[in-house]
Amino acid sequence: MNTKSPYQIKIGKILSVKQMTSMEKMFEIALPGEDLSHAPGQFVEVSLLGIGEAPLSVSSSPTKQGSFELVVRKVGKLTGALHKLKAGDEVGIRGPFGQGFPVRILEGNDLLFVAGGLGIVPLRSLINFVIGNRKNFGKVDILLGCRNPKEMLFHEELAGWKERLDVNFNCTVDKADPDWKGNVGLITSLIPGVTLDSERTFAVVVGPPIMYKFVIMKLLDKNIPERQILISLERHMKCGLGKCGHCQIGNTYCCQDGPVFTYEKVKAIGGAI
Amino acid sequence: MNKPKVSFFDFACCEGCQLQIANMGELLLDVLGAIDVVEFREVMSEKWVGEFDVVFVEGSITTPQAIEHIKRLRARTKTLVAYGSCAAIGGVNGMKNNYKLEDIRKSVYGKDANFFPTVETKAIHQVVKVDYVIPGCPVYLPEVVAVLKAFLAGLPRPVPDNAVCVECKLNENICLYERGVACLGPITRAGCNSWCINHGNICYGCRGLVSNPNTKGAKDILEKYSLSVDLIANKMNMYNKCGENDNRE
Amino acid sequence: MQYNLLNKNQLNDLISFLAREQKVVAPVAQGLNNYAFTEIKNGIQATLNYIPTTLPPKKYFMPQRETLATYDTTQGQNMDPVVEHEKVALFGVHTCDLAGIQCLNMVFSEKPKDQNYLARKNAITIIGYECNAYCDRFASCRLVHNHTPNGGYDLFMTNLGDKFILHVNTPAGEKIIERSHLFSLAAKADLAALERLRQKKREIFEKNEIPIEHEKIPELFDKSYQSKVWADLDKRCVACGNCTNVCPSCYCFDVIDEPNLDLTTGRRYRQWDSCQNETFAKVAGGENFRKERGARQRHRYYRKFRFPIEKFSRFFCTGCGRCSRACMAKIDLKETLVSLIKEQGMENPNAGRQSTIAEKPATF
Repeated sequence: MNTKSPYQIKIGKILSVKQMTSMEKMFEIALPGEDLSHAPGQFVEVSLLGIGEAPLSVSSSPTKQGSFELVVRKVGKLTGALHKLKAGDEVGIRGPFGQGFPVRILEGNDLLFVAGGLGIVPLRSLINFVIGNRKNFGKVDILLGCRNPKEMLFHEELAGWKERLDVNFNCTVDKADPDWKGNVGLITSLIPGVTLDSERTFAVVVGPPIMYKFVIMKLLDKNIPERQILISLERHMKCGLGKCGHCQIGNTYCCQDGPVFTYEKVKAIGGAI
Repeated sequence: MNKPKVSFFDFACCEGCQLQIANMGELLLDVLGAIDVVEFREVMSEKWVGEFDVVFVEGSITTPQAIEHIKRLRARTKTLVAYGSCAAIGGVNGMKNNYKLEDIRKSVYGKDANFFPTVETKAIHQVVKVDYVIPGCPVYLPEVVAVLKAFLAGLPRPVPDNAVCVECKLNENICLYERGVACLGPITRAGCNSWCINHGNICYGCRGLVSNPNTKGAKDILEKYSLSVDLIANKMNMYNKCGENDNRE
Repeated sequence: MQYNLLNKNQLNDLISFLAREQKVVAPVAQGLNNYAFTEIKNGIQATLNYIPTTLPPKKYFMPQRETLATYDTTQGQNMDPVVEHEKVALFGVHTCDLAGIQCLNMVFSEKPKDQNYLARKNAITIIGYECNAYCDRFASCRLVHNHTPNGGYDLFMTNLGDKFILHVNTPAGEKIIERSHLFSLAAKADLAALERLRQKKREIFEKNEIPIEHEKIPELFDKSYQSKVWADLDKRCVACGNCTNVCPSCYCFDVIDEPNLDLTTGRRYRQWDSCQNETFAKVAGGENFRKERGARQRHRYYRKFRFPIEKFSRFFCTGCGRCSRACMAKIDLKETLVSLIKEQGMENPNAGRQSTIAEKPATF
């Protein structure tokens, strides 16, 4: 009976911890003897027994084998405790849960990635998956925005994306500092400059709630159909099993039916964004 | 592992919360296994001269001397816990703030009033930084233990922000409004497991208001049950008068 | 034979028989017209003439606080899932509460299955009890078609005046009949008496409690998302969470870790939570997706009347009336629905009564 409990955790071994900004750390975690086998956009429930459990999106691509990566911003009780851990420590893992990005549907199409703030964390999983299987996808544009240069994550990887000839990368900050040489302004300001074939373009947007409304307006201006705009919603999935109710939006459980939805679907459920 | 050095101090209060802790019973042995009590006037005569890991403070701040004293304690401790309603939210001592300071001083001390400087009643967090709060008159022991565990584990532990009704319903009590009695459960913070109502008493609001109370809605409720708004305002003031200091800031 | 008879003076013997093999739980008067499902040792303690209990019988299927696992972190993240259950006979469950249990069964049987719930459910025997008339003015069981039995029990008792007639619905129910030796087969005349009673009930429950057809309710909610009624509830609701805690089909919970003082061992448990609580839809970053009390009330109503239609093809409101009885602000489910109906101009006097206080109290 016990082994069947959906609340059972698997042991995750922390292989490395990397400070990314003053607020975020990246944890590389391995499940002894198995792969997480997640799809880009899925999340896991991370536990520290005695402290609690929280949903965190997987940031690494499934093409990375043997371990997976979580990027954790220190905001609450559990994330605060996670930040105190070091390589060799254990965490509890349940999942992966939810519906990730529909990779099969995206294949063969052009992709426009729009990431705001921490939105790059789950989106990175898909971007690296696409880059790892580059020939299966059409034109790829990546737009990234964050509040200031200090909050920018994955510097080295971003530089790598920027240098690729088969990816168009552009980023902006809301507020520059003296060392910043790039764009200054909201992420929405980058969208009009993208040339795209709206019929064969899927836009994948992840960011804070406030961003969705404005970015989606710009995407619709570009004639991208509603069903080709994908977004990932943030909710507090407490159980991950479609039961506890915390992540419910309208008649959908974000943890089971999401967190990735088409804008077409999100528009139909009230109170989603 | 070195056990944390813990002390208990009191300001204006009835010392009832200390009594609760001293009377903890069997659980006290487990608690004493986890901490090292170095100063606690009500139960021991030893004094501690060094630094503390945790200071538990009962009572509210009502005199200039108390302000200095709590500041000194804050400087000597890594962690400060305000426990009991007087410390956490001002408690019954807040009723002093219904009067002019001069008037109340004269009424208490008569012709000697000048020898007794006084200040408006304040909850501890209104004078110094507080790390943990345990409201309640007296404190609810399971909550004291929960906060102690949070401290030992280095975790935050906010006071629950749901209404007492939530816990009261889980305990399947008969709602006191059905008895025609005004109970402050609907607007008071939970965390006490509806202790008073379980034992046939009303909720006096000793744990402070929920963070986003629907004051208008609460007034409507009183009207519907033909209860006077003044009555409940008075009841609420009994413990929560000092809350006005927070709103002013 | 599906129908059996029990003499009224043998009710006590039936309870004693059940109590020999399991905990027996039945409605017990608490005073002030409050009732609670409580463990009983003999039939005298139970009261069958009761309005819905303060908490529904869901507390036996998913207790207010339920341990999910124990843990020991001395050697790392070691956790032992806990699945607890005990044999319970639930005695005297009204049809509204049977419906509530059916709702929960659907939710927790859905994949990924909830082993904790299912283990308890499998250890519970249910003996239903028919309401021959309205319990009070808060009930709306006719509206959601729960005024008559629709399964969900092992045995179902109907009071025929001089005796009880019991419908046998499961092998577990049949076992009770066989092994207790308290029952006799129902004769044709008894079945005719049952039919007469049901006919009388059809008259009492002829129309819905509010003027709308059962089938039109989803449409009503499709039109009402932006309704002013929610703004009115926003002003009145104090977010005490009573409505959801007492609801037989509400099942939301929080998961909490409780360490022991050694800080290495402890338990992970779940506790009933409420979408009406301020913090329910808050995320770590501070965003609250249902910040307004009105939005939270709307969510509750949609979870009863609209959302479950697609997933489970049924209403999750059981018509028991508990939310209206328990509401501090006297937010009345029937009144809310009537307001929505009027706003949308969907009133149909043929479908239901227009006054919301017309029902006569029950006579048993």
